[in-house]
Order: sequence, then structure tokens, then C-alpha cells
Amino acid sequence: MTLLDLARGPALEWALVIFIAGILWRLLGVLLLTHPVDFSAPRTSFAKLQGTRTVFSRAWPSAEFIVRTRYQTVMAYVFHIGMFVVVAGFVPHIEFITGLTGLSWPGLPNFVATLLGIAAVLALVAMLVRRLTDQRKCCVSTWDDYFSWFATAAPLVTGLMAFYHLGPRYETLLAMHILSIDLLLVWFPFGKLMHAFWAVLSRAQTGAAYYRKGVRI
Amino acid sequence: MPVFPTFEQVYQGFAEQIGKLPGVAPRVEMPADQRVKRAVKVLVDETHADEAVWLESCVHCGQCVDACHFYESTQDSKYAPLRKIRLYQRVYRQEVGPFRWLYKLVGRPVTVEDLEELQELVYDSCTECGRCTMICPMGIDIASLVHHCRTALVAAGMAPPEMAAVTFEQKQMRTVFGASPDVLRSLVQKILDEYGEEIPIDKDKAEVLVLTSAVDIVMNGNGLLATARVMNHLGVDWTLRTDAYESANFGLLAGDMDLMVELADNIAKSAERVGAKVVIVAECGHAYSALRWNPHVHGKELPFEILYMSEFLGRQVQAGKLRLEPLNRTVTFHDPCKIGRRGGAFDEPRAVLAAMNAELVEMPANREVNWCCGGGAGVFLLNRATELRDKAFKIKLGQVDATGADGVVVSCASCRLNFEAGRFKNRWDKQVDSLVELVADHLKDGEAGQPAAVAGGEQ
Repeated sequence: MTLLDLARGPALEWALVIFIAGILWRLLGVLLLTHPVDFSAPRTSFAKLQGTRTVFSRAWPSAEFIVRTRYQTVMAYVFHIGMFVVVAGFVPHIEFITGLTGLSWPGLPNFVATLLGIAAVLALVAMLVRRLTDQRKCCVSTWDDYFSWFATAAPLVTGLMAFYHLGPRYETLLAMHILSIDLLLVWFPFGKLMHAFWAVLSRAQTGAAYYRKGVRI
Repeated sequence: MPVFPTFEQVYQGFAEQIGKLPGVAPRVEMPADQRVKRAVKVLVDETHADEAVWLESCVHCGQCVDACHFYESTQDSKYAPLRKIRLYQRVYRQEVGPFRWLYKLVGRPVTVEDLEELQELVYDSCTECGRCTMICPMGIDIASLVHHCRTALVAAGMAPPEMAAVTFEQKQMRTVFGASPDVLRSLVQKILDEYGEEIPIDKDKAEVLVLTSAVDIVMNGNGLLATARVMNHLGVDWTLRTDAYESANFGLLAGDMDLMVELADNIAKSAERVGAKVVIVAECGHAYSALRWNPHVHGKELPFEILYMSEFLGRQVQAGKLRLEPLNRTVTFHDPCKIGRRGGAFDEPRAVLAAMNAELVEMPANREVNWCCGGGAGVFLLNRATELRDKAFKIKLGQVDATGADGVVVSCASCRLNFEAGRFKNRWDKQVDSLVELVADHLKDGEAGQPAAVAGGEQ
């Protein structure tokens, strides 16, 4: 079995199993905890529904805070949007998913996908630099922050390297790229990458708690 | 000739009382491992799904510092809000979280030194104002998590001595700073003798149960006088009760939840006994949280509504029952954090100021995103936190100055004490007024008489 066979064979299969099982375990382990009843009289009966507004309103800082947070917010969006568009819009990715599931959709021109990929990498680097040079020492960085950064950056970097044949031979580069995705999938349920789910849940529940009191956030 | 002290004198008297608190604080002796065990148990017991989601959600972006007055005024990263929840996160991961078996193997156990370090973070340098929640991209309710940390420290016998002293007194006496029923009765009599203002006390039945507070009872007689004037002017069928008069809930402030519930239940029972349709909470911010938004108080089933003083006054204005003389001044309004951002009563105090034709200029950061004054959640009681509090207040001072207003109207005794302290220490030229006292001074003569409809349901 070659490295590439391993990467896109058993390694990917196990990575997907751990990814799905791990996410379910972590989500259920949290959401199945107790939910005590709040007996106070709410100002609205629709707080939970109204709270979902906060999932979207919190996606951009309020006017009061925008000056202090815009750099970080913009970098984060450049990275997230770039990454998602590359994952879903890059033709080799679509072909891979077609091979697995039969689904397909039109892809982006390669130069657009690679530009977005480069932008995503640059944004990630910018955020890492910000964390490392944090003069205010406010971020309280842990090894999870750095390892999650690595697990996220590696597929982007190795993907660009594979596409442009930079370094070892193509099969090795492709294997490295897929192995880095395997690592991302395995790590995802255990670290801060789970913020993909927590962002929605946390905003919604805080929104509901505030709406209950008549405060729109 | 005024009978009661000015609020500057009230602040001076209060500061002196606070200075004596550490000397009378009960000491809780306990082995260190017992303290840790109790603190951890409380955090575990109080962690439900909501807390767990918030504890899982922090991505260490550090944006919360840009919303926190304690960080902003010191630039000390120690006061970053996300640091306040790190110990709780550790406990959660090791004891409650879905991978606790893994974290128990690799994580550091909690020590008493961790709890000692936590004390300053969750008492001295947090007013539970919730402003950090407004900036957090994940929407984490840090203030609620800080509250749980306080309850953990109380269980470990590690609340600050001032909090321990006041909590101890309130456990025994149901009130604080010596504001006993006898002192209350004396004040009521004095108000009658000096001002001819009758305050009904211990009526068997009344539509409205009014709560007062120790600050008004032992020092700021003008507060109770103003309350009486307004209630009598409106023709409200009201009463004070010597079995339930104290708004302040040091159970909530310190983190002693048994005491919090006991005090709140006592007020609810008294209100039910008198057949009250409304309970009015005096100008005391956290008291509103302790009663109105207390998850244990069966608010939906109780036969009465709980209104904050400014909420009640605003509703009377909006119903056309309260007409006021013009104020003829430019003012700004400081929303107490527990009434505005964490209480939802923004519009009512503004309606009162509009009824006084006050030229209201909002502060640059107002309503949901206003800056905390720095004195709430019991921080004003802590001698050790004085310098920190004074620095934090300067932000609020700047906010008021930026409006160009003559003064600021506040509707919370804790905020008012902090404003008064700031006014004194900074030789600040702005006037600081209490909303209820301002209303009492601007009642329109001849407009009283018709009983006010006090029970109006939620707006």
C-alpha cells in the first residue's frame, strides 16, 4: 500500500468515523446536560425564537465595538470564506466528492480557487502573528489554539503545494494533503474547531436569555 | 432646613462603614483541600447545558478586553474577562465535560492557590455588568459564569471579608448596616414629624408593596421621603412591611444562593399575604435581578408583578397618571447594568425624563452597550478594590462629560454611591441625581388624587 493509498483509504475512513462520532459525542455530552426551568416571568413568550436572531446579529460587531474589532473580524472572514469556497468550489474537490457520493456541481475557475486559498492562508498567518505578538497578552493562548491553527493551515498549504507541484513528487504531495485533512477531521471534535457548532448554540442561547428580558442583542 | 444628609454626606458615612467591615467579618476556617472540594462541587452542581455551551465556546480571541472597564482603565491583562472563567473551564473539562476522563489524566488539579487568585478576578474586578457579552463573537455570558465562581468561593469560605460580613448580618437580620425594623419605624415617624408625609407601614392589605433599602433607611432618608411623596401623590394604596422591606440581596451579590432564595421568598410571601398586585423594588440594581429575574421565584405564577422603581414611574407617566414639572436642564441618563442591559427596562426611565421636559443627551455608549460605572455587584463594598474602581469610574466620567449635560440621572444606589465617590475624588462639576428624588421634587401640584392604576401587566 502506498502512502497515497493509506491517506485516502483506511486513514480517511477512520478519520471520518472519528470526526462524526467525536462530534456527536461532544455535542450530546453537552446538550444532554440538565436544563433547569426559569420560573421568572419573561417579557416575551418567543425568546427562544427571537434569540436565533443573535446567531446572525453577532456575526458582525456592533457599531460601538467595530473600530477595535474590525481587523480581527475581517481577517477571520477572509479565512473562513476563502476556506469554504475552496473546499466546495475547487474542481478537484468536487470530483473527489462526486466519486464518494455521486453529487456534483459546477466548480470555480482554478485561478479563483487558488487566489482564495492563498488569501485564506495569508489571513491565517495574519491571525497567528496577531496571537504571537499580542502585546496586550489578552488572548490567553493555549496549545489548542496553536495546534488547531496548524491542523487548519496544513490542508490549505499542502493543497496549494500539490496543485502547483511544489516540492516532492505529486503523489507524495497529494498524500500529504489528504493526510492533513485526515488530521483535521480527527482533531476537529476535540479542540476549539468545534466553535463551528458552539458559535451557533452559544449565540442563540444568549440571545434567548437576553430577549427573555426584553433586550435585543 | 433639610433634615436628612446630602448624598455626599451619605457617601462619606457609607465609606466609613465599609472601612469597618473587614474587622467584623466572620472567619471561615477550613482545610485547604476541603475548600477546593467544596468549590469544585458547587461549580459541578451549577453547570447545566447553558453553562457548558458557554464554557466550551471561548476561542481565546481576546476581544472581550475591549468592552471591560477594568481592563480599559488599567490595561492590565489580568483583568481580561476571559481569564475570569479559565478556572471554571478547567473544572468543567475535568469533572463535567464529555472528555472528562481524558482531562482528568492530563489536566492540572485545582488548588487553593487557584481559588485565591480567582477571588480578585470575580469579586474586585468584575461588576457582572455583561458588557463583555455584547462584544464576544461567540456570545458567551461571562457575567453568569462569574456569578457561579462567586458561589463556589462562598462555599469554600473564600468570599472577600466585606461580603462575608454583610452576608452574615443579612442572614441573621434580613437586612444590613443595622437597618432594623425599629430604625425603619423611627425613620417613618421622622418623615411624618418633619415633612408631614405619611408612610403606611405594616398594613394588612395593600395593592402595592414597596421595598426600601438599608442605604435609605440608615443614611439617605431623602430616598424614602421621595418614595413616599411620589406614592402618596399618585394616590397609591401602598405599604411598607417590617417583615419584608429590604431590597438589597447580599446572597446574590456574594454568591450565597441559599440566602438569595430565602430573602427573595420572604418578600414574595409577604407580598402574597398583603394581597399586593405590585411589588416595587427600590433603586437598587441587583435587587431587581434577585427578585424580577430570579429563576427560582415563580414569577409567572405569582399574583403580583415585580417592578423596578424607574419602571413603575415610567409606566405611571406612560399611563398619564404622573405629570411632572419641567426640569429645565440638560441631563444624561446612566442605565444601571442590572436594570438596562441585564434587566430590559430602558424606556421607562427615559419616559420619566421626557415627562419632565428634560433635554436628554445620550452618552456615546448607551443602552445595551453603555459602560458600567464600576461600582456594581458589591464592588463598591470592597476596600481592596477602591483604586481599581476609581480608575474604572473615569471612563464613565468621560462618557458623561462628552454629552455636555449639566448632570447625570442615576437610578441605583450602588451606582449613585460610586458616582458620588467619583464626583468627590475627581472634583467633578456635574450634578448627580436620583430619578425617584428628582420626580419627587418635580411633582405637579394639584395633579394628585385619582388612585393610580398600578397593575397593568407587561408592556
